[in-house]
Amino acid sequence: MSYFLGVLLKILGLVVPLLLGIAFMVLAERKVMGSIQRRKGPNVVGVFGILQPIADGLKLMVKETVLPSNANLMIFLAAPVLTFMLALISWSVIPFGDGLVLCDLNIGVLYLFAVSSLGVYGVIMAGWSSNSKYAFLGALRSTAQMVSYEVSLGLILISTLIFAGSLNFTEIVESQKEVWFAVPLFPLFIMFFISCLAETNRAPFDLPEAEAELVAGYNVEYSSMAFALFFLGEYGNMILMCTFCSIMFLGGWLPLPILSSFDFMPPGFWLGLKAAFFLFGFIWVRASFPRYRYDQLMRLGWKVFLPLSLAWVFFVSGLMIGNDWLP
Amino acid sequence: MTEFFPIFIFLIISLGLSLILVGIPFIVAPQKADPEKISAYECGFDPFDDARGKFDIRFYLVAILFIIFDLEVSFLFPWSLVLGEISFFGFWTMIFFLLILTLGFVYEWKKGALDWE
Amino acid sequence: MNLFLAAFAALGISSSIMVIRANNPVYSVLYLILVFVNVSGILILQGLDFFAMIFLVVYVGAIAVLFLFVVMMLNIKVEEKQESMLRYLPVGGGIGLIFFLEVVIGLDKEFVPLNLLSLGPSYESEILPEYLHWGETLAQKTGIEAIGQVIYTYYFYYFFMASFILLVAMIGAILLTLHNDPKVKRQEVFEQNAREFSRTIQKAS
Repeated sequence: MSYFLGVLLKILGLVVPLLLGIAFMVLAERKVMGSIQRRKGPNVVGVFGILQPIADGLKLMVKETVLPSNANLMIFLAAPVLTFMLALISWSVIPFGDGLVLCDLNIGVLYLFAVSSLGVYGVIMAGWSSNSKYAFLGALRSTAQMVSYEVSLGLILISTLIFAGSLNFTEIVESQKEVWFAVPLFPLFIMFFISCLAETNRAPFDLPEAEAELVAGYNVEYSSMAFALFFLGEYGNMILMCTFCSIMFLGGWLPLPILSSFDFMPPGFWLGLKAAFFLFGFIWVRASFPRYRYDQLMRLGWKVFLPLSLAWVFFVSGLMIGNDWLP
Repeated sequence: MTEFFPIFIFLIISLGLSLILVGIPFIVAPQKADPEKISAYECGFDPFDDARGKFDIRFYLVAILFIIFDLEVSFLFPWSLVLGEISFFGFWTMIFFLLILTLGFVYEWKKGALDWE
Repeated sequence: MNLFLAAFAALGISSSIMVIRANNPVYSVLYLILVFVNVSGILILQGLDFFAMIFLVVYVGAIAVLFLFVVMMLNIKVEEKQESMLRYLPVGGGIGLIFFLEVVIGLDKEFVPLNLLSLGPSYESEILPEYLHWGETLAQKTGIEAIGQVIYTYYFYYFFMASFILLVAMIGAILLTLHNDPKVKRQEVFEQNAREFSRTIQKAS
């Protein structure tokens, strides 16, 4: 019984901060984008607009859910549920410190890879069931894009796994005690970050929701909480990918060497700091770069990232086995 | 497999949570559907016809190529873990495997299967 | 444990019945995905965590996406299902029977206690005494490592065969689907980047 209670408390300790994190991530995005574009951003609700995401959430909660007349209702409603669910359960293998993890699978990376590959279904189901042209086109584009970048994401992961010698997140972080993987694998690190942008459908790869042509992509027919779940799921995935990136390349919860006087801080703080660094990068990129064209996007995925990451697998494995450096 | 149990509980809890979240507006918000509101959005026009139609065959090609490369990646996962134990023989096995697939990759590149128009 | 097995199996079987019975082919594929997910749940229960994840990645993440694309493209409006299912019974039943017999024959006595059909004695249980499990006591390997140690060494020829099959699949897919329109203008990025300013732009005077 106490085991159940422990698991439930752990889940609660995962979900509540995550939802708060998503809410304030949205606020941070609007504030940072505002600053970059020399405006204030939301500043009315609460001090400095700090309650804005709460207000937005409450507003969405009391809106009517519009159910399109020729939509397939079951799938239409299942799609946001699925997206949000997958965004939540993928967090169960992320360690926030040594042992601070819901379940420490020895195939953690593979689990995350599998769950994120299921993420396309939320998009396809939403786009197909809405029975709207924009939604359908957006879903097709989004699927092809996510699928294309997943390959290079996987190949980049392989190179880091050769370094780490384990699929367990805790061991991956432990193996970075000497040097963070971002140092020897710097090009892969950059490619991973860009692939994460594409995988989460973020600018400059936000083709699926290109406002100018597809109005909002696959979630054009959604309103109220169903829309909010997509939104939460997307931002949850963003934070997840940033955390993933910092675990794989920036040493997870290991403290920053240059800030050695802050070593007393809890491990979760360091992980959060690194994830926040990437999240800021996401926002910065969104504010700075124009959107890609679709053929350019696919070319980048298949003709640049895929061969490059494959070549890195050759290179890294050859180097490691040739010099007998393997763990 | 016992280590998967928390994930199972988490799955059920997140399913419940998202169902509750989807359900809330049906309770607290007034539902007033009218034909204009619930017709598919098409920038103000009435929707012309059913939205589900044929689409470019390249999407299939992408899906098929994805299957192939996904399999390649899933073959690489165990390899990357045991590379130290299978020594050079296992290493060259995988290099051969990858070279065969690289051959296919070069072929599709030359054929223009990776181009979008 | 048994409860979970029963739940996953029941869900899997009922959704696989729905795969056949669903009117809309897209629903069928979605039920098929449900079947895959349940099967990977069963695989996890068997302790095959690596296979469960690969099942999710490959079948659900890749193959079912392709199925969905194909079915969505076919654009079948809700198919009329009036024709009787009995028409397919002889063929389908025959194939089903063959599969069932294969499974029954393939299983050895340990799985099915009263298996009269299993051909020949199962050698494994006779040669290896029950108490000798040195392999397990000496080396603690996770499933994924155990697979990795044999697949690239002892079974490398199967592995090579897999690579050739994938190559054939790749070439076949391209040959079947690709029809390049020569009229379409494409962006040649590498040429574009390699072009030199001094050679392309010239003063007219």
